[in-house]
Amino acid sequence: MLDSTFVLAITVGVLTTAGVWLLQQRDMVRAIFGLTLISHSANLLLLASGVPGWRHEPLMDGTTVAEAADPLPQAFVLTAIVISMATTILMLALAVIGRNDDQERAPTVSDHDEPDEPDDRPSHPPAGQNDSQPDIQPGGRTASRPEIEPEIQREDQQGVDRA
Amino acid sequence: MTDQFIGSLLPLFVAVPLLFAGVSVILRRRMLDRVLIVAIPVLVLASAIALMIHHGETPVLASAIGSYEGGIAIPFVSDTLTAVMLATTGLATAASCWFLTASGEDRVRFVPALALMLMSGVNGALLTGDLFNLFVFVEVMLLPSYALIAVTGTWRRLGISRMFVIVNLVTSAILVMGVGLVYGSAGTVNLAALAGRAGEDPQVALAVTVVLLALAIKAGVVPVHGWMPRAYPGTSAGIMALFSALHTKVALYAIFRIYFTAFAPGGPAGAAGGTLTTPAHHGTATTVAVVIAVVVLATMVLGALGSLGESRFRGVMAFQMIAGVGHILIGVAIASPAAVAAGLFYLIHHVVTMASLLTTAGAVEQTYGTGILGKLSGLLHRDRLAAVVVALGLLSLAGLPPTSGLWAKLGLALSVVEPAGAGGNPAWYAPVFLTAIVLASVATLVALQRLWGRSFAGEPLRLYRPVLADGSRDRGPEEAVPDSVRIPGRLLAPGVMMIGVSVLLFIFAGTLMPFIETAAAGLFETGPYVEAVLGGGIG
Repeated sequence: MLDSTFVLAITVGVLTTAGVWLLQQRDMVRAIFGLTLISHSANLLLLASGVPGWRHEPLMDGTTVAEAADPLPQAFVLTAIVISMATTILMLALAVIGRNDDQERAPTVSDHDEPDEPDDRPSHPPAGQNDSQPDIQPGGRTASRPEIEPEIQREDQQGVDRA
Repeated sequence: MTDQFIGSLLPLFVAVPLLFAGVSVILRRRMLDRVLIVAIPVLVLASAIALMIHHGETPVLASAIGSYEGGIAIPFVSDTLTAVMLATTGLATAASCWFLTASGEDRVRFVPALALMLMSGVNGALLTGDLFNLFVFVEVMLLPSYALIAVTGTWRRLGISRMFVIVNLVTSAILVMGVGLVYGSAGTVNLAALAGRAGEDPQVALAVTVVLLALAIKAGVVPVHGWMPRAYPGTSAGIMALFSALHTKVALYAIFRIYFTAFAPGGPAGAAGGTLTTPAHHGTATTVAVVIAVVVLATMVLGALGSLGESRFRGVMAFQMIAGVGHILIGVAIASPAAVAAGLFYLIHHVVTMASLLTTAGAVEQTYGTGILGKLSGLLHRDRLAAVVVALGLLSLAGLPPTSGLWAKLGLALSVVEPAGAGGNPAWYAPVFLTAIVLASVATLVALQRLWGRSFAGEPLRLYRPVLADGSRDRGPEEAVPDSVRIPGRLLAPGVMMIGVSVLLFIFAGTLMPFIETAAAGLFETGPYVEAVLGGGIG
């Protein structure tokens, strides 16, 4: 019963479940881990769509067609891995700029509905200053995770700022 | 020029924008960038129109990349539908990019290059005839989009746009899983080789449905639309215009293409290569068709109702986009040539109108510092031209003359009531769809009247938040608005052009319709498509 198809199916299921659970977390970094797991499960699923058992390398002179693995799903997976690496890096960049959602309430649309203040300035400096670092707003990035109390304080302060 | 030669030029739709994106990154000349991001989309528009006319002689052009045999090679395929889509997205991209240059967002580092990369991905997704390649091009399209949001947004927008990124990545994962399932069940991901297979084999049907689900999320179809009206208004107006013209429309095109090719709902006559779809497993296809019908009805009505509850100009537009997606997909739900043609016309109308309204909304935001309906008022007294553009745009969305909206809605309504399509739709389709169209139109009308009444009509505007010299908004209290402040003409120009196109579509609809009808017919007769792709890979 425990053949490779079965193991693959279970693994895909477990990875997807874990990924979905992580996606429900408010922290961006956890969401990124969740997406990584989901993309891994997608890769395994792609592999399973070929021949799931162990086959030889699909090289032209090394193996016969009868023994060789299906190269197409492997090419799919290779492409998908490269793409998911690029998106993961991009999302990690998104995670370290802006806010730290672990400690702060993530911005919501109701904030956004409330006018384009107090936070509404370009995240990128206008032309001419392209090479300078954008300033990071206070509280936007914290090195360590403060306890619950500072979180409440910060939220309070935000409320005051906005009022 | 031989067809073979023209076919081998198809990859240029992808290569040229990509090449000039690289040129833009390396040279970084402002003037060059401004010219490039408008000229390249215009070039794409012109070549697409030429292609559209050429398809009058040769219905389908296919080019096998790398000269592999048909069926193994990754094909680039173009038929009238593809050419019409390329032209529409090219036009809307040109208008949006024009607005980006007017609003100054093109000065932000890499924006021109990213916009060109986005366009390259869009063209690739429209031209490819391979499901996995479609996934790759969708990713090529999305990666610059993430970067575009990140560089043009504000800190707050950056937070909101995370949702855009996460939703799209999860959707991409579903898409690639669907492609894997298609390969596992059908043994190929070549669309031409898949022709009619989903109608025959329930396994393939299930796999294709997973692909369609992923595309439905990207298009913003109702049960899975929630992210769009939240994420899109969170971006800047120019970027939202760009995204609304490209992302959802590419997904819609793919839904049309994949559904009609794989399921061949046109019945035996439309099945690929003359082989008959056996009615033995027709049950699966019928179930899928009914699910699509219900989803489409919900999308139309809920999208229109949702726009009633929004408090921002672009929030209303985002929900109108969802309603529009519902209208366009009527073509898929009814699956008759007339309905598909009407849906395609609606798509073109919707892209044009949305581009006009969104860029004009951006011009208002840029000038008066807010897009909130309560805070804007009486713009009618200040900005006559903007008022005319918005009024025409709203009429167009509601489906009233003198705009393309009239023919779009009329065409849909007529195609719904006509005697059933080849598939033989259930009898409840006609009354239910007609009711939904009317209901959605009424809700849209009320929502748009509310929008008009709370922004352009009413008391003259008193307070505003001026834009500072460095491009950011004043963060202090609102100021009394001086008489001299007007929306600059350069910000309005793209909106004026696009609403002009909408009016032209109203007048010259008859010129465009033959192309659209050919495009719709091409979806039903997949024979030439299959033959062009599989028959002879062009060397």
